[in-house]
Amino acid sequence: MKKFLYVLLIGLLAVISHAKDIYFDSHYTLWKDGDILIWNVDKSITIDPKEFCLSLKRNNTSIGDPKCRIFGEWERDSVALRYATWLGYNLEPGTKAEYLKARHPAMIAKIQALEDKIVIYVSKVEGVVRVALFDETAGKPKMAGTVAFNSDPIALYDDMANSFFDRPAKRRLTKKEREKMATEPDEYYQETPNFNGWIGVGLGYSQAKIPLTPDNWYRSHIDSKVRKYRVTKDSTSLWNFIDDSDPFLSLYAGGTWYGFIGAEIIYRLAKHNVKTDSKDTSYDELDHWYFYQHEIGLSIHLSKTFPMNKWLDITPFVFLGFQYSFFVEEIDVKDDVKKPSAAYEKRVEFEEVYKGALVGIGSQFVFAKHYGISLRTGISSRGRDTYSDPSPDAAAEPTTIGGSTIDCFVSLGLEYHWVL
Amino acid sequence: MLKGVWTFGLWCIVACILLGCGTHYQWTKSHPAYRIPPRDDLAVVGADKAFVLIRSAWFAKKLNISADSIQTKVTTECANLLTDELKKRYSRLKVVPSSKLDGLPEESLKLDQRIFIKGKFPEQGVMVADSSGNIPKTILIVHEVIIGTDLSRENYFDYALIHNEGPEKKTSNNLTAIASYTLWDNERQRALFSAVDQVERPIVKISMGDIEELVRDIATQIQRNLDAGAGL
Repeated sequence: MKKFLYVLLIGLLAVISHAKDIYFDSHYTLWKDGDILIWNVDKSITIDPKEFCLSLKRNNTSIGDPKCRIFGEWERDSVALRYATWLGYNLEPGTKAEYLKARHPAMIAKIQALEDKIVIYVSKVEGVVRVALFDETAGKPKMAGTVAFNSDPIALYDDMANSFFDRPAKRRLTKKEREKMATEPDEYYQETPNFNGWIGVGLGYSQAKIPLTPDNWYRSHIDSKVRKYRVTKDSTSLWNFIDDSDPFLSLYAGGTWYGFIGAEIIYRLAKHNVKTDSKDTSYDELDHWYFYQHEIGLSIHLSKTFPMNKWLDITPFVFLGFQYSFFVEEIDVKDDVKKPSAAYEKRVEFEEVYKGALVGIGSQFVFAKHYGISLRTGISSRGRDTYSDPSPDAAAEPTTIGGSTIDCFVSLGLEYHWVL
Repeated sequence: MLKGVWTFGLWCIVACILLGCGTHYQWTKSHPAYRIPPRDDLAVVGADKAFVLIRSAWFAKKLNISADSIQTKVTTECANLLTDELKKRYSRLKVVPSSKLDGLPEESLKLDQRIFIKGKFPEQGVMVADSSGNIPKTILIVHEVIIGTDLSRENYFDYALIHNEGPEKKTSNNLTAIASYTLWDNERQRALFSAVDQVERPIVKISMGDIEELVRDIATQIQRNLDAGAGL
């Protein structure tokens, strides 16, 4: 046990002695085949550029073929010398880049003139080697820290390479590429178009039950059957008569102005079977009985576009509108039935038109500015078309069939978009 | 009782919103390494060139000094007095000649989103010696002391307001001094603490003694802030 503890202690000491301490890292860009300039002002250690370069190549395979040399220009320059002295005073644990800014205009100009070269400042103080990296993007170190001093230069260079040059290297741009980059528009910058329009076709599915609501709100409507062509327990909802959960087809066209407010017109078609009771013998004569549901709606569309990248824009939206629903009956008796029964002749009749509201949310995913996929979900209702004043014999009037028919829906659409 | 608590709470929220909407300035800034305020080992630089008198004609009339010499007379007297007052508070105070900062560019130092001090700072990597050739550990750089009546420091240091050219109301209820200064770490050449202070004295019957009292207040305020900036 004791032996094990010793081994652990020695291991821990070894870890500590190799410890590095990164004060800050502003994520500088490491260039492939780049120039590494060693700025060793106080000569407290000797850095062999050739060996240092080999260490870099050994520890970072993406670095390519870097060129390392002693940065004599800065080592002899009095302004740079003063800044280096100052850096020696101020490069202390826990410091931040903003406290290490170069103030002398000539020094700032020198840093800005580096152009893809990386300057590595080194100085040995009390058993550690202080390192600060500069590139042309900031008048302060991009990264700073220490590595433990090692009398074996190769091990020291390996430590430095591991701690400060361990990121993937990028290829340097040529002069022409730089010029082109400078004039290219920012891909994230785009003007909001005045008008963005779309047409689409969608497939969806609707049902009476709204998710996360109790079953007993719907059970009586969903479970009910139609007897003798017209009898149900309740007739406030159309779902007492016809199947509620069916797929639908939708065609729609819409547009938004200034990327924010818009309108959409939508046509929806669905087919609903009548829920005839199979035990009821009065349906023996019946061949088929179903209703086509045609709906025309108009909604206000509020949206916001988030450009993800060059080829994808995501536009979440909410919509709120109204719709008219028409139920077209398709019924026929079997060929061998000569005369339908009296119940058939007096079967249930729906209103000519129902008026309702629809509300929902969705999102459009537009690829390459033109080709969109749209997902949406919402709730729609159908009620009486017109409001009529209650008459004295209102109580005697028959209830409107399907006066409160609600369903929820999801749909997936394919769209074509254009901007004006 | 409960209603009273509710009403109080509501007023507190309203007050917070109103205060939150108003501009809040931060007038001091400390370097993270500033832990120990200077005791005796302090030097001062720039006091002789820092003073500016605003409304000098008014002062000349009130103090019975000729309008031609008021600026020089008051500012020289104030500068000497400030140095003396600082000497009372920092017994071994040295004076670094202002010429040490000559030729350096004027730099700005940010205290707050909108507050910037302007002044000259010694170069990085160069220690400044005092008049006897010694290297002081810390130097109090006095950038500017504006003396006038009813001044407010945001009009001079908030960069969004300094270019306003609206008609200034010339009132004389209070004597005001606005001092901007930096405590400089001479060994490591960094700003340890910077501040813009505003001190005021009500004007009853103005005399040179009032201005002297004002300068004493500045010296007291500087010492208090240097201590507070180090977290004391």
